[in-house]
Amino acid sequence: MSDAHDSDPEVELTSALVPFFVITNGRALPPDQQYERTALVTAHQDTAATARTLAPEEQAIMDLVANRMLAVAEIAGRTHLPLGIVRILLAQLEESGLVLVRKPAPRADSKDRELLSAVLEGLKNIGA
Amino acid sequence: MSRDALAWCLVAMTAIAVAAIVALVVRNRALGRRKQQAEEALKAELATAQGHLTSVQAELARYKHQFDTTIRQAEEAAEDSTKAVLKGSARFLQSLAAEQMTVLEGIQGKYGNHPVLAELLEVTHANAQMQRKAQGIAVLCGAPAGRRNRPGSVYDVVRNAQSQIRNFRRVEIMQQTGFALKASAVSPVALAVAELLDNAASFSQQDAPIEVTFQRIQKNLCIVIDDAGVGMNDEERQRATALLSGDFVPRLSQLGNQPKFGFPLIGLLARQYGFRVDVTGISRYGGVRAVVLLPEELWTEEQPAPVQEAPAPVSIVRDEQSAPSRPRTVHGLPKRVSRATAPDDQRQPSRTAQDTGRVSGRSRGALGALQRGTISGRTFDSAATEGPQDA
Repeated sequence: MSDAHDSDPEVELTSALVPFFVITNGRALPPDQQYERTALVTAHQDTAATARTLAPEEQAIMDLVANRMLAVAEIAGRTHLPLGIVRILLAQLEESGLVLVRKPAPRADSKDRELLSAVLEGLKNIGA
Repeated sequence: MSRDALAWCLVAMTAIAVAAIVALVVRNRALGRRKQQAEEALKAELATAQGHLTSVQAELARYKHQFDTTIRQAEEAAEDSTKAVLKGSARFLQSLAAEQMTVLEGIQGKYGNHPVLAELLEVTHANAQMQRKAQGIAVLCGAPAGRRNRPGSVYDVVRNAQSQIRNFRRVEIMQQTGFALKASAVSPVALAVAELLDNAASFSQQDAPIEVTFQRIQKNLCIVIDDAGVGMNDEERQRATALLSGDFVPRLSQLGNQPKFGFPLIGLLARQYGFRVDVTGISRYGGVRAVVLLPEELWTEEQPAPVQEAPAPVSIVRDEQSAPSRPRTVHGLPKRVSRATAPDDQRQPSRTAQDTGRVSGRSRGALGALQRGTISGRTFDSAATEGPQDA
């Protein structure tokens, strides 16, 4: 019996150590029109007065947007977090008064999106 | 004349009386002898009976002992076979849950901005709890805990533990640490902390906070969990201490219908992986203070993460090519490697293979490629100077 114990292979855990729902502390997604991909985020000027300890992911966002404007999609790309998770974190940070969010200019035409997608495809092809 | 007759009469009566007395005495003596004989016979009989009784009693004791041994052997055999059956199924669930966790993570990356994400997060939470139970049962049945092959910051290990309990929102981690657990300790410590957090949540009110702090005491690193529950009485404390030290290992059948395997499991993990757990303290809220004591063999000091922005590669192509070779802190932030840190590489948490999975999966979903392009252009140089680290 004890021999069998020794030969037991361990189950390997390959998922991330911290699941997303803990990073967001179980908060719901903000409404769609909030924190769109192109909305710009910047750190509030006097962020020194932070009441709570920030999670490392929140801190990473704060570091990214310190002293500059950054698009929501950009933050997602750089933190390697899904966009939805970034939006939840941003909602949390804005609530704590740590960041300012500027809404993007209203979209002119839905064709713009198609055009942009085409451009993106082109860029991908160049890259590949 | 009549006087003579009277005298004769008297003499005759005396003679009769004497004769009667003699007869009586003789009879009395005979009776006494017979009584004595009877007594002796009875005594002898009693002695034999007692001898019989003793031997019968001895035999009974022997049978009883045999009976007990047989019962114990049967129980042990039953325990072993139950464990074997249970271990097999628990391990199956354990690996399935682990697999599912990875799959769910991929889906979350893929549908990162879809409303379904909210439900996905809930499913992941449920799965994390299932994973904990499966791991717990597997370990109690003699299987090893799951293994992670990267170190993790103590902060993240506690967050992992937090993810495994139902009321995870109540857990507040009050501070960051500069310490990382070695890869082999990550999973067992997370599992033990999860059981402690679950206990803290179960034995306190629904909205009461559970606070986690860290302390370094001499060569030990302590994870301190304070709850605002009702605390334990002396008897419960003694029992908990015996279970946590591994001195008393209950059988599976002794765990009850709604099995309480938290403490036995923690005791087993602590003994196997070389840490200690104490729950005899009183928290600042009057509840239980649980302390996980990690000896220095299980942890290292984290290298300080760069405070300034260390841009990650964002262009679609570069993600796959250069990201894997770049070192990261345990929080996944890119790390500068300008200093000669090569000898420490072993201790360095480098999230390579998996991070790349995340990188490509997640950033691909994100649009805003034009903006990204400009910024990646600007930061290209600084990223390039950090260069690949593998040597």
